[in-house]
Amino acid sequence: MIKLKRLRRDDSLGPLESVLFLDFIKGLTITMKNLLRKPITTQYPKEKITPPKRFRGKHGHFVYDGTEPPSLQAIQGFMSFEKGKSRCVACYMCQTACPMPTLFRIEAVQMPDGTKKVVRFDMNLLNCLFCGLCVDACPVECLTMSDIHEMAVYRRSQAVIHMDDMEKIGATNAKTVRELPDRIWRNDKERETLWGKVKWNF
Amino acid sequence: MPWASKDTLERIKHSFRQINIDIQPHFVCINVEDTKDITNILKHLKDVEDFRYFIDFHVIDFPKEKDRFLGQYILVNPYTFERLAVKVWFKNNKLPTAKEIFAGAKWAEREAYDMFGVEFEGHEDVKRMFMWEDYKYFPLRKDFPLGGIPEQKLPSLTEVLEGNTMPPSHDYDIMHTYVPTIKEIEKTEKSRITKRGQLVLNWGPLHPGTHGTMWFLFDLEGEHIIQTDVILGQLHRGMEKIAENIHYFQFLPYTDRMDYLSAVCNELSYVQAVEKLANIEVPLKARYIRTMFAELQRINSHLLWLGTGALDLGALTVFLYAFREREKIMDIIEGNAGFRLTSAFLRIGGVHYDLAKGTLEVAKYFVKDFYSKLKEYHGLLTRNRIWLKRTKDVGVITQEDVYQYGLTGPVARGSGVAYDMRKIDPYAAYDLVDFDIPVGDIGDVYDRYLVRMEEMYQSARIVEQCIEALEKMPENEPYVNKKHPAVIPPKEDVFNDLEDMVKSFRIVVHGENMPKGEVYSSGENPRGELGFYIYSIGKSSPYRLRIRSCSFYNLSVFPKVIEKHTISDAVALLGSIDPVVGETDR
Amino acid sequence: MNDMIFTAIVIAVKILVVLAVTLGLGAYLTWYERKFAGHLQARRGPTVVGPFGLLQPLADGLKLMTKAPILPKGIDTKLYYMAIMMALVPAIMLFAVVPFGPSFKIMGHEVKPIVANLNIAILYVFAMGSMAAYGTLFAGWASNSKYAFIGSLRKAALIVSYEVVLGFAALSVILLAGSMNVFDIVDSQIKSGIWYIVYQPISFVLFLFCLLAESGRVPFDIQEAEAELVTGYNVEYGGMKFGIFPLAEWYLNVLALCAIATVLYFGGWSGPHIFGPFSGFIWFLVKTFGLLFFVLWVHWTLPRYQAKDVVEFAWKYLLPISIVNLVATAFFVYFKG
Repeated sequence: MIKLKRLRRDDSLGPLESVLFLDFIKGLTITMKNLLRKPITTQYPKEKITPPKRFRGKHGHFVYDGTEPPSLQAIQGFMSFEKGKSRCVACYMCQTACPMPTLFRIEAVQMPDGTKKVVRFDMNLLNCLFCGLCVDACPVECLTMSDIHEMAVYRRSQAVIHMDDMEKIGATNAKTVRELPDRIWRNDKERETLWGKVKWNF
Repeated sequence: MPWASKDTLERIKHSFRQINIDIQPHFVCINVEDTKDITNILKHLKDVEDFRYFIDFHVIDFPKEKDRFLGQYILVNPYTFERLAVKVWFKNNKLPTAKEIFAGAKWAEREAYDMFGVEFEGHEDVKRMFMWEDYKYFPLRKDFPLGGIPEQKLPSLTEVLEGNTMPPSHDYDIMHTYVPTIKEIEKTEKSRITKRGQLVLNWGPLHPGTHGTMWFLFDLEGEHIIQTDVILGQLHRGMEKIAENIHYFQFLPYTDRMDYLSAVCNELSYVQAVEKLANIEVPLKARYIRTMFAELQRINSHLLWLGTGALDLGALTVFLYAFREREKIMDIIEGNAGFRLTSAFLRIGGVHYDLAKGTLEVAKYFVKDFYSKLKEYHGLLTRNRIWLKRTKDVGVITQEDVYQYGLTGPVARGSGVAYDMRKIDPYAAYDLVDFDIPVGDIGDVYDRYLVRMEEMYQSARIVEQCIEALEKMPENEPYVNKKHPAVIPPKEDVFNDLEDMVKSFRIVVHGENMPKGEVYSSGENPRGELGFYIYSIGKSSPYRLRIRSCSFYNLSVFPKVIEKHTISDAVALLGSIDPVVGETDR
Repeated sequence: MNDMIFTAIVIAVKILVVLAVTLGLGAYLTWYERKFAGHLQARRGPTVVGPFGLLQPLADGLKLMTKAPILPKGIDTKLYYMAIMMALVPAIMLFAVVPFGPSFKIMGHEVKPIVANLNIAILYVFAMGSMAAYGTLFAGWASNSKYAFIGSLRKAALIVSYEVVLGFAALSVILLAGSMNVFDIVDSQIKSGIWYIVYQPISFVLFLFCLLAESGRVPFDIQEAEAELVTGYNVEYGGMKFGIFPLAEWYLNVLALCAIATVLYFGGWSGPHIFGPFSGFIWFLVKTFGLLFFVLWVHWTLPRYQAKDVVEFAWKYLLPISIVNLVATAFFVYFKG
């Protein structure tokens, strides 16, 4: 049966405690102890904590650069890809998986040689939940989420990102984030202000 | 088993002939044939069969049926922890009210009226719960479109007016669903309370004491509150409507946004309900990871409660001490799920990722440190005479109130009702770890404070045990049951395996059709029992998904308890009930 | 004639110095408090404006002054503005009877570093302390807001109850010193070599409570109680109009009362002559700021009482204790000397 724990309710102060204000003194010592500790804050605009590898920030497109997964290699003959450009195959999986599908605008055309070329890939990030379902759904490891999290803009239209922005983000992401080991955070030093030294087992 | 046993059902059947009993694997209900009998049956269930714990009342819309609306009560026997659903059809859109039998039904019926336009005999002054008074439609009816009815021009949302049409495709429609005007909101306010005291104080919707956009009307006599009314709906997004229109897996990120302080727990409750419906086995590793993160999230949520609760009562520093620890949990969740608050970490059939490297070390380090921090919080508050003065014997909620209003979580346990889904109906890995359920006895704010503090301690214990179990597990143990047809395989497999890719395509595009049937499944959230009732007709999205919100029912007792107390007590009481508006309004 | 001119100049200088010092100090106390609170809460406090954020008070002042002046609807304009004055003036006037150090000689004239050397200085402190309640009351009434109104009523109730206790608490010290003049009180402590806190620990604790209550500090900040009343009586004020209230109540009032407490219980400027000629002044400041530190420390540690508890606490516990203490002191003084 259920293991219960009746709480011990010490809800009245003893005479000595109340006359000598021992309860206050206890609290005051605790705050004093904390006063002597080091601050744990990061001074935000000056110092920034790098988000972990798995962070879901602004979207990007990984580019066509020879690191394609087998799923893409199988069909790349049907696509008109350029080196250094997006490897999107316009399968619309991201849009289908998205709980808010209208934020995507994807268009592809057929080239004269019969291959397919993606000409438009817009995302309206104002509608985005940043849930990552689109990234999970992408079968060719094209769509990704970078560690960019400062996305404030002055106009609504600036919150819509286009394929070229995403290619740039993806290209940097491929260089910086993708190759990182899958650790809980990237930089031990930055986290030390809050955490102190953590012992690692690996 | 939490559902009503055969014997109980037999006994009920013996007393009432005009009922059918419907037993499903995760759902047991009695169908009441004649609407007139429902009051008697509920009374009988409450008084004779001891189903006195009111859990939920909701409505399902069947536009093609003769009587259209089906009402459903979910009751629990708090002594044997049997759960039972009672179904009854509305006759001419009418049902006898249950508010005399279960006080919690009052708000539930208001919600039902608000969302479905059904009426309750004997509950004449039924008011809108979330929408404003003059709203014409009933949003959860099946004939109400998902996007709402566009009937008002709202050019401010688009940039067309500024001559900016780039990119045109991402401009919003100028036509928008109707938005209430200030006048209509004032009308709502005026209609809610007939003044009896000296002055009516508008406490909210934006007020530092309400922790969100909650709106209280206090009728004051001096500083004493004579009567009060709560106006909700500022954060109403129609989660239940959304859920009916998207696939099961797509609703997961929405659950994060209900009780945004305990995202993982919400996900766990939801995912668990779907898994029960589809009969998905979850690998042991995923179960442990789920448990660990749910408990970390519980500590996280309770820390926020502690910080803001203490802030409300004037202890300014506890807030930051609590946030310091909270930040660490956020780091753990962020490192694993990718997001701090709305983490979307769980998946149907498992978890999104395996644990990131170093998680266990970090979590261990956190827990080890956390016990001493917990002692600090105790030292600052527990025996402090001012804290005692503010919390002791303030806002006493009796056991009867708990049953009547359907209060769950620490609010119920503070009043001595040992109702905890983790023990009654163990899910994830809760049956594999050892922990106690703290229970208070008086039910005042101080008791709830103690219960939550103890729960943090117990959660830390659970996390420790989970870390221990996870450390022993081999590294490549599966974290998601990808063999099941309804589970989206992990990303790497999609890239490398054609079969998995096709499966992923199939689920994302068409959704996996779930078996027909009903499920009511609930998890123990930091705020109480978060239940998901799913009515499936064999499609890839639920026909009806009802979210049994704990904050909503917990808050419903507030007007009763706060009577004759002062405004300062209202702050303390509200802090101890700890509602989250994202969940009350959904 | 010469004497008169000299006295006039001295008084003018004193007033200017006290005004400049108190207002400047008041502003810098915000920095002090924020820095202190920051480090207490594992934060850093202001760091951006100037080294260690030292220019923060100026930036704050500038910000408050350049804010758009907003007058709420339906206010009583005269009272609305008068409330600001009524809050600020008594707080500054309190400094008139604060002796900042021992008397010294300039050009053969004895100068006492006090603006007005009244022989009823302590009474004057009570009077000014009570006056501060009017600022709050006016603000609450004039603002045409329910929150402000409730807050000001709470403050009025609080002042009424704590003034009485404050009087009785200070009275026992006055009995011991035999005078209400601050110089006499300090001198008698220096003469006997024992601070009055040794004789009057209970009275000191009572005084401390009253100090916290009068200046609206935790645990008695019921009139502001942001979780209940947003910020209470000054909720409808904006810009510098708002800035005056906390400045007067939280900083100037506290500082003045700490100074008075130093005079009453810690022997004013008495202390070993280790800082050269300014030793007395420095000792006085050290003691005052030490007391202030304690007040801030308490403020950032404890929860807040409820309005009714605060008043109950004063009448039911503090007042009887203070009366008993007073009577005991009276007996002591009568039989001893």
